[in-house]
This record gives sequence, C-alpha cells and structure tokens, in this order.
Amino acid sequence: MAQPTNTLEWIAFLFQEYGEMFWQGTLVTLYIAIAGTLIGFVLGFALGVIGDLQVSPHDPWYRRLPVRVLKWIGDVYIEVFRDTPMIVQAMVLYYGLRSAGIEITPVPAAILVTVLNTGAYMSETVRAGINSIDPGQREGGLALGMTSMKIMVKVILPQALRNIIPEMANMFLTNLKMTSVLNVIGVTELFMVAKTTGAVYYKYFEAYLCIALIYFVLCFLFNRLFLMLEKKMKGRADYALAVEYMSDGE
Amino acid sequence: MKKAAVLSVRDLSKSFGSHEVLKKIDLDVAPGEVICVLGSSGSGKSTLLRCINHLETPTSGEIRFHGNPVQKHARALSDYRSQVGMVFQSFNLFNNMTVLDNCMAGTRNVLNLSREEAKKRAIAQLKAVGMAPYINAKPAQLSGGQKQRVAIARGLCMEPEILLFDEPTSALDPEMVQGVLNVMRDLAESGLTMIIVTHEMAFARDVASRIIFMDQGYVAEDTDPESFFTAPTTGRAREFLSRYRESQA
Repeated sequence: MAQPTNTLEWIAFLFQEYGEMFWQGTLVTLYIAIAGTLIGFVLGFALGVIGDLQVSPHDPWYRRLPVRVLKWIGDVYIEVFRDTPMIVQAMVLYYGLRSAGIEITPVPAAILVTVLNTGAYMSETVRAGINSIDPGQREGGLALGMTSMKIMVKVILPQALRNIIPEMANMFLTNLKMTSVLNVIGVTELFMVAKTTGAVYYKYFEAYLCIALIYFVLCFLFNRLFLMLEKKMKGRADYALAVEYMSDGE
Repeated sequence: MKKAAVLSVRDLSKSFGSHEVLKKIDLDVAPGEVICVLGSSGSGKSTLLRCINHLETPTSGEIRFHGNPVQKHARALSDYRSQVGMVFQSFNLFNNMTVLDNCMAGTRNVLNLSREEAKKRAIAQLKAVGMAPYINAKPAQLSGGQKQRVAIARGLCMEPEILLFDEPTSALDPEMVQGVLNVMRDLAESGLTMIIVTHEMAFARDVASRIIFMDQGYVAEDTDPESFFTAPTTGRAREFLSRYRESQA
C-alpha cells in the first residue's frame, strides 16, 4: 500500500496495518470492563445491603457488633474510592501491591481497580434503590414474621433492582470508557494501542480517532442492547385468569 | 375474664419525641373476641395496633402472648408475628410477586412449608375471599378491594391466632368497602380473634363483641357494642357518636 495522503487514508491504513492490535486492545478493554463491572456489582450490592441493615438495641451484641463494624468499613471504603480519581487509584494500588511484594500483573490489577471503583459507586446506587421502595413492603414482610434478610432478598432487592437497571447500564458504559486511564499501569487496552501505533508514523490524531470510533461503536451497541433488556424487564401488562377457580366466586 | 387472655397489653406507653401517643394502656384479649377499636384521628388507635405486633417499639410497658412477655429481639419477634397477623390500610402486598406468591411468602419463608402444602393453603384462603381466579395477577393489576382481600388471605395462610386490622377499608373506594367487610364478617363468625381499628360504625356495631373507644392516648371506654352505641358513658364518646350520626344524616 502506498503512503496514505489524507486522514481517512491514514485511518484505513492504521486499521489495516495494526488491525490485530486494535482487535486485541478491544478485547482487553471489554474484558476489563465486563469482569470489573460484574464483580463490582456484586460488591456494590453486598455493601448496599449491609448499609441498609437495621439492628435494634434489643438484639444481642453478637448481632449488633459485626453489623456496626461492617458498616464502618463499608463507609470508609466508599468514601475513599469516591473521593479519589480512578487514575490515581490505579497507580497507588498497582505500585503499592508490587512494592509490598505481590507480583500482580497489569490486567488483574486493572480489573481490581475497576471492581473497587464500581463497588463504591454501585453501593450508593443500591442504597438509593432500596430507599426508593415503599416502607410498607418491609412492614408487610415483618408482619408475616419474615426476617429482615429474607425481606431484603425476596421483596426489596427484586424491586430495587428493576429501578436501578438503567443506572447499572450507565455504570457499565462509564467503565468501558474509563478503562482508557488504565494504560498508566501498562495495560494494553485500546488507549495504549492508539498511543503505540500513533507513535510509529507520528500519526497520533488518526490513531486516537481510530479508537474513538471503536469506543463509540461499542457504547452505541451496548446502549441498544440495554434498552432492549429494559423493555423486556418491564414485564407483561396482562395476566391469565385461573379459570379452574372461576366458579368459586367473582 | 372468662377465658385466659391470649394477648395482654400491660401499662403500654408510646411516645414520639415529646408527644405521648399512648398512655398506660391495659388490654386483655380473650380467644374468639372481635374487638373494634374506635376513636377520632390521632387518638392512638393505629399506634396501639402497631405496638401490639411491635412494628412500633413501645416506649414502656409490655405485651404478653399467652402470658409470656414478648421478647424484643429479631428472632423472638419473627416467631411472635407469625402467630399474630396484620392487615394494613395500604395493603402492603409484595409488588414483585403474584397473588399466589404473596400468599405463599409467609408459609414458605417463615413456616417452611413445602411448596405443595403452601400452595394448597393459599388456594383455599384465596377461594374463601373470592380471589382464587386472580392467582397469576400482580398487585398493580388489582383494584383496592381485591388487593385487601388478597392481603387478608395472605395473613390467614399463616393460620394466626389473632389477626390485627389497621383501618382495612379506609383506602378503598366506597363500592369496594362492603366486599372487604363481608370477608371480615365471615372471619368473625368463624371464631377468629380479631382486633380491628376502623371507622365503619355500622360494621363495628354489628360484628364486634367488644368496643374499645380511644381518646387522646387513653382507653376511654371498653364495653359491649350495644352499651357503647346506645349509652356511651363519656362525653367524648357521645360527641364522637353524634358527629358520626350527623355525617350519616
């Protein structure tokens, strides 16, 4: 292929020349974003539920103490991760762990940072989701003798989950884009690929335009997917009458 | 008392901040009694009911169930509440579950019944309130009256010793009220012990075996329906009844 003469040709050229690298970078980006977000969601839900645990002064100390300790740890962790930038968290964690003698490689470190970051934000979202549920739902469960945990798992969380799904989708898209900062700890994700390929011919503008395009397509596709899922989650508006019991009253 | 009380309230007080809502309430409930609790808004009726099953923690005093003080830690309360059911003004059906699942939630999660057993009970109770055809519906798809009948069935599935009703018809459209009252009338006739906070005077007079009239946090009258409606002893009760009659005229 002859030397490209304009931006479009350069983009085509870079994709052709480094297609494999862009593809690998995309996979790494997706891997970190998906793994980090999913595990982060689990962490966020756990923390959100812990944050909502209620103990009465009449409960025995061995119930109250662990709850208080867990809540305190959760609060500190959430505060720290919400009040520091992800790029700094990545550096501190990666170099901190390595200087502590833990030979963590960039990709697991990147996932760890994403998990911790997602967990902190997600816990607040989950807490808000739980608070949005009518307190009567909890009282209805209590009046049947259900434990707080059972009510949380069977009644509150399923309803809260539906309310926060748009926010969860949003968080995933944010994470997908935020993985770009993780090049600072040497992860070969999309941003790193652009930095590397751009340097070869000194065509940074074109290289970053390439990954901008990839990020855009990824986010666009996921967005459509989430909208479809949301529609599906809405559930049916009708229900089947149990005709076998129809004669027993109207 | 003729029979040993199934539930006793002793010296029960409840304050919200400096506002004293219940003042040293004493009450004994015998098995099979149908007690209607009357009184104007703010007299403490609902708070009394909510204290009885510990949705509100009493500030002082105690609740005894079969003579034993109800312990206040979570396990004991769960056990106690599984035997003392409650029907709410706002139904409080689980919005994420079908009618059938609502009626199986307590029996499955608290009494640990098998699926088949829980379903059998649920269908039987739903039939009794005329809601069996709607087992697949979600609460949002039902009318208020239908929701309340399901809520009553859900409570009955636990086979409670006492069922508490907190203004069960106050949130209903007028044409829905009778259906729910009829269900409650059937329950009263079946011998279920009930404590009912209500504004339905005709129903109270007809169905109750005993009337509690509350005023400003006290039990002002505790008598049989005939005496209460024909010859109330306190001025507050007379005033309350005459206001009610005016509104009916």
